[in-house]
Amino acid sequence: MSLSAAVLGLTVLCYLLGAVAHGANLLLRRPWLLNAGRALAVAAALLHGTAIGLRCMEVRHAPFTTPAESLSLLGWIVCLLYLGMEAVWKLSAAGPFALGLSFLLVLTGASLAVGAGPSSAPQGETAALLAERAISLHILATVAALGAFALAFCCAALYLIGHHILKSKHGLAWIKRLPPLATVESAAFTLVAIGFPLLTLGILSGFARAARGGLPPGWQTDGKTILAYAVWAVYGAFLYARLGANWPPVRTAYILIVGLALSLLLLLVPSAAHRFTG
Amino acid sequence: MPLHVTGLSHNTAAPVEVRERLAFTTPRALDEALTHLKGALAPLGGECVLLSTCNRTELYVAAPGDTDPDELADLLLAAHGISAAERADWLPYLEDKGGCRAVEHLFRVTSGLESMVLGENDIVRQVKDAFSRATTAGTCGPTLNPLFHEALRVAKRARTEMNLSRGAFSIGHAAAQLAESIHGSLAGRTVLLLGAGKMSETTARHLGAAGANQVLVANRTYDRAVRLAENLNGRAIHYDAFVEHLADADIVIASTAAPHTVVHRPMIEEAMRARSRRRPLYLIDIAVPRDIDADVGEVEGVYLFNIDHLQAIVEEEAAERRRRAVRAEALIREEALAWSARMKAALVATPLLRSVREKHRAIVQDGLTRLRQDLPHLSEDDWRRIEAFAAALENRIAHDPTLKIKEYAERAAVDGGETSEEIAAKMRTARELFGLDEAANAAARGRGE
Repeated sequence: MSLSAAVLGLTVLCYLLGAVAHGANLLLRRPWLLNAGRALAVAAALLHGTAIGLRCMEVRHAPFTTPAESLSLLGWIVCLLYLGMEAVWKLSAAGPFALGLSFLLVLTGASLAVGAGPSSAPQGETAALLAERAISLHILATVAALGAFALAFCCAALYLIGHHILKSKHGLAWIKRLPPLATVESAAFTLVAIGFPLLTLGILSGFARAARGGLPPGWQTDGKTILAYAVWAVYGAFLYARLGANWPPVRTAYILIVGLALSLLLLLVPSAAHRFTG
Repeated sequence: MPLHVTGLSHNTAAPVEVRERLAFTTPRALDEALTHLKGALAPLGGECVLLSTCNRTELYVAAPGDTDPDELADLLLAAHGISAAERADWLPYLEDKGGCRAVEHLFRVTSGLESMVLGENDIVRQVKDAFSRATTAGTCGPTLNPLFHEALRVAKRARTEMNLSRGAFSIGHAAAQLAESIHGSLAGRTVLLLGAGKMSETTARHLGAAGANQVLVANRTYDRAVRLAENLNGRAIHYDAFVEHLADADIVIASTAAPHTVVHRPMIEEAMRARSRRRPLYLIDIAVPRDIDADVGEVEGVYLFNIDHLQAIVEEEAAERRRRAVRAEALIREEALAWSARMKAALVATPLLRSVREKHRAIVQDGLTRLRQDLPHLSEDDWRRIEAFAAALENRIAHDPTLKIKEYAERAAVDGGETSEEIAAKMRTARELFGLDEAANAAARGRGE
């Protein structure tokens, strides 16, 4: 087992324990559980960053050349964004989702890597393609945008749960465990406001690379390409609804749920043109 | 010194008319009572703290020897100018506790377990205040001083570890907590009061304490609106114009005496159209009969709560606190037992420690006297230095035995659960080991007794 894999193993454990501690805090509201969850999240972020760095040094290229690596990178970005959210808005209620998602992403990536065997590393032409800056930017920006959208979805879900409790008056004891509606609404908007330009950058850098040629034929109608446009349109619609059309937060929250469903498809759909995902 | 507490509260079945008669309602009355108690306890070398809140008046006394509960009751009544002849009228309401039970009672009171609203925070301030007044009056000494510090520490532990003070204690508190669940920070939020009754004022004060700092008051009687607005640092508006201000409000508290609803769905829909739809409107209807049409709660972005919803929250939180209080009670009992055991140990260890120190001091003084005879040429400055050195040496030598004796006595009392007699027997053995009785006998012989 390589050193990066060993550190990643520890990271997975921290993600899992962090998610459990945050979940337990949501149920029991014990300060020590919250502090433990926060410490585990910070430890996981540091360990994960170290694992990615070590992986870079081991394979001598950017850490998103395989599905395992790109999922791991996404998990790390989700964790970093969560820590930022927690610092700014005290949104520890998003912890079980964020750290649980990071755990699942890294674990799924690891199981994919085990299934693919040692031949999954890029070779020849693919390796040369991945070394290009435009491709690196394309992948990094898109993955970071997906991380922001995942957490925006979490905020939207928290908003809808809180809204439902306050409207129905059922389970009011839970409302104090959830963050204020205004806070999660604001956090969701900020995350999309960060993610949308990143996705735009990802799409534009993809275009820039495609214009130089050398991509497989039919990349314009590739599943990932079409879905990236769809995701961009959905989050663009969200921003318009939020800033221009004065939609109420409940409706914009549903847009974020649709957005995440499309983002997941974008991440998982098989693609011939986007070979970095295998 | 043994501790006793005597007094009355809502828990001793004392009705409000009895409680208010024995309450020391002003700081001056409390100080006068403490002066009286100080005078009465001085001959005994006793200490006291007088705790007086709206629901309880209690006298904590630490005095040497056995204390007669009737004497304590007389003392408390006399502090209020009530004669001993009237004691019989008060006895059904007065309760007396001594020793460990008194310690446990103080810990329970400070933790809010004896409060009318379980776990409320105000009692901590009241206990601190009572303790501070007793200290200032000079009625607090080496027994009550550490005890009250301990009570405050235990209360903090019980509240922190058992979350005793968490949750809504009243309708107004519950309303303010919901406001924070909707709006987050209430700073800069506008509160519109419909009706200038006590309930709306209390709720507005809770919201104000949570940060809401812009208050509009509308009432059918404009003068009352002005008065309440002044109290709340807000602005009075004419009742007929309240609809125009709905669009500016983040929180509306309705508690008019109107026999029918005064806020209708079209009004709210109009207000919501006139404002950003991301800005929710929180309506609190605490009037009976209700002031706000129930279907207003269906409007998008509007959260409507009536008095039943808020009462349900308060009751649910109270039930939760009662569950936590059961665990807090066990913790407090454990702490009270530990404290009482430590005090019991101190009680038997103190005479031994005093004897050890006296013996050491006598040896040092004897040595110094001889040295003065042998070295008559030394200056007074030199003697001051030698005496300081001897005192430091005496302290260094006494330090370890003192700690060990204290530790031993505490361990025996706390962990071993030994009785005072058993510990006293061991202390006698220690006296023999230190040769204290021989020293005392020799001193007595020296004095020709």
